[in-house]
Amino acid sequence: MDSWVIAMMLGVSIFLGAIALVAFLWGIKSGQFDDEQKFLNAVKFDTQEDLNDAVAQEKKYKEMKKKNYTPE
Amino acid sequence: MSHKVGCTHCHLEFNDDVMIVDGEHYFCCKGCQGIYHLLKDEGLDSFYNKAGDTKLSPPTEQYEDSLNFNSPAFYDKFVSLNKDGFSEVSLIIEGIHCSACVWLNEKALHKMAGVISVNINYTNNKAKIIWDDTVLKLSSIIDMIRAIGYNAFPYDASLQEVRANKERKDYYLRMAVAIFATMNVMWIAVAQYAGYFTGINQDVKTILNIAEGVLATPVLLYSGWIFYRGAYYAIKTKSVNMDILVATGSTLTYIYSIYITAYERGEAYFDSVTMIITFVLLGKFLEVLSKKSVADTLDIMSNHVPSSVKVIEDGKIVEKRINDVKVKDLIFVSSGERVALDGLVIEGEGNFDESNLTGESEPVYKKISDKIISGTVSIDAQIKYEATKDFAHSTLSNLVSLLEGAMGNKPRIQIMANRISEYFSAVILGFALITFFTWWFWPHSFERSFMVAISVIIIACPCALALATPVATLVGLGIASRRGILFKQALQLETMAQANVLVLDKTGTITQGKPKVVQTHIYDDFDHSLLYSLVQNSKHPVAKGIAEFLYTEDISYFELQNVKQIPALGLSGEYLGKKMFGGNLKLMESEGLIVPNSTDANNTLHVSSNSEFYFAVDAKIVAKYELFDTPKADAKESIGIIKSMGIEVIMLTGDHLSSAKKVAHEVGIEIFESDLTPEAKSLYIQKLHNEGKIVVMAGDGVNDILALALADIGISMGSGSDIAIDVSDVVLLNDTLSSLSDAFKISKRTYFMIKQNLALSLLYNAITIPLAMAGYIIPLLAAISMSFSSLMVVGNSLRIRAGFKK
Repeated sequence: MDSWVIAMMLGVSIFLGAIALVAFLWGIKSGQFDDEQKFLNAVKFDTQEDLNDAVAQEKKYKEMKKKNYTPE
Repeated sequence: MSHKVGCTHCHLEFNDDVMIVDGEHYFCCKGCQGIYHLLKDEGLDSFYNKAGDTKLSPPTEQYEDSLNFNSPAFYDKFVSLNKDGFSEVSLIIEGIHCSACVWLNEKALHKMAGVISVNINYTNNKAKIIWDDTVLKLSSIIDMIRAIGYNAFPYDASLQEVRANKERKDYYLRMAVAIFATMNVMWIAVAQYAGYFTGINQDVKTILNIAEGVLATPVLLYSGWIFYRGAYYAIKTKSVNMDILVATGSTLTYIYSIYITAYERGEAYFDSVTMIITFVLLGKFLEVLSKKSVADTLDIMSNHVPSSVKVIEDGKIVEKRINDVKVKDLIFVSSGERVALDGLVIEGEGNFDESNLTGESEPVYKKISDKIISGTVSIDAQIKYEATKDFAHSTLSNLVSLLEGAMGNKPRIQIMANRISEYFSAVILGFALITFFTWWFWPHSFERSFMVAISVIIIACPCALALATPVATLVGLGIASRRGILFKQALQLETMAQANVLVLDKTGTITQGKPKVVQTHIYDDFDHSLLYSLVQNSKHPVAKGIAEFLYTEDISYFELQNVKQIPALGLSGEYLGKKMFGGNLKLMESEGLIVPNSTDANNTLHVSSNSEFYFAVDAKIVAKYELFDTPKADAKESIGIIKSMGIEVIMLTGDHLSSAKKVAHEVGIEIFESDLTPEAKSLYIQKLHNEGKIVVMAGDGVNDILALALADIGISMGSGSDIAIDVSDVVLLNDTLSSLSDAFKISKRTYFMIKQNLALSLLYNAITIPLAMAGYIIPLLAAISMSFSSLMVVGNSLRIRAGFKK
């Protein structure tokens, strides 16, 4: 067996793992795991409606921000 | 016959004849009915599906005007602007019972125009709300929360809490990276060790080394950054700590391994680099995780301070901020309000709840020219009083500032592992240097001497030492929490194990906290339902005790006429023309009734520690009940166990001498003090400290908080007041004293195991370090012994469980 096969497999698997790690770090940083109960409940109970609400809320924030924007 | 039905909103069950019937729905009060219709109109009634059968608290009346929240002073203190120019406030929401409540609050607020973002934490009910202040004011937000049956009050999300969270999050990130890398390095290391035995090509070995090196780099530079920082501070203050040992050890190993990889000879030790950092980081993380912030406590405490009072100026009532009130101002207090300043009663009379100061739930009757104290709550009194002190000098704000001081200056017993690791690190670094120079001058080359010196540092692996305390305490905490004992900080187990004095509060800690009927004298037959209906009209603990005593399945509740509270004496009422009186001896005498036992002259002289309650129907006394706040069932036995551990037990109480004596005697406590104010309790603890004692204090009330904060370990009952739970270090969820003695047992056992763990890891080092210095350590032995020492410590810690299998 050529050693480059080992090198490639190691490289690919560590790279894939690193992607998962980065996603996890992003999750922690953006506060998604701050409230463990909310996080778990969301998995159990969130409906389509709740997701729509969340999107609507984000939109609302952006719109308000635009309206509120005053160049300095 | 009436039967019980549940309220459609709050699900509490009452007899159907007292319920409000609204179509097919039943409501227990107007408040619940209002909320139900509001939710229905707003299209939020799917809340009831989500809530299921959860019992909610019915809405309570709000005394504080929500418009107060719009004052500039209030905005100054609590509202901040975020970077997009929106207002931001942190609120604690009261009355949240389940996830449906959180959903309802978030949903209802989102529906309001101008509210941008609402985020409510399920665990601590703290909410962060962002809104556009040009569209709506904070008062409308608070009004909305109140309208749907909850209450909200703001808290100062002070820097301290934010900083503690940030530190925790920082550790999470570093841990995630370290654990990810270590797990991957380990399976590569498996290949390498397999190759070590069965033979391996040099080029494959190099590939494995490079892969390990790539994984070890972020661990050393990112996760290990904490150790570099710690080492830097240690050097700056000219001291040696474990951080220096970890930092130098891992850095040297890392550099050496790169050198090995580049020159393709010998064995690389990247796995040791990641392992040491991950393990020691784990130990540190366990400590950070359990740090509590002082900030939270003070938030809750300041919620107990009313923000404004009603001052009478020129015959008119004016709302004033508490800090603007001057001495001699006339202040009006209505029932249910909290007194903000100390003063003298000028007009009116009524009962006050002084449990904040004495711990006793029995109301105190105040009349003209009596002193009233800030922090007490008016139960039924409408009075005018003259302020004798301004707010800054009043009892309540004194208490807050004393508390602040006490929590900041809590005595800390230095942690044993830290003490040992200081010496340990210095000794190891010294040994490594000695080894290096000895080998350099005689008999070998630079390369060989460098390698041996590094092997000393690697073999002296601080893993076992770093894990000795956290793992043992973690096991101890696990056992404790399964028994309903919550330690807020892991290190407190160690402190508690060394304690030699236990100070106990009486009411609610040793005793049940509410009077129970201990003796009944029936002079004449009467309908128990009459008395039951009468005492239902009072909130006095004695009345509650009687109601509880009388309650049986077939007792019924009658609607009485002319129910009157007679302050400090009792109450009266009428049913079908029968006039009834219930109350103490004085009430009976003032009504001119003949008290059956009062003929006994000796009895009247003797002050009984039992509270007495007489019941009279149609001008004839028919029954007498004696009530006493009895000690908990397991009190005597548990106190005996604690004493047998060589711990001195002392009882401090705000109650009178007679009942203190009785309780102390019943549970077997010799040393006790009665009639103590909160400050006196804390002074007593200070006195014990000055004698060099390590003090554990157990209490439950607001009057105990100063003492709890000041003691080395404060223990509160799970049913105690929120502030007491917050101030204390340990919470006993099941309120029993047997869990208090368990807490002592567990902490002592854990402490013993910590000592054993430290001894084990030092013993391990005593054997391996001389071998390493002599240059006999081969890579395999280093790796095995390193893992073995850590496993040994973990395995030994698990032995704490033995003896706690129930």
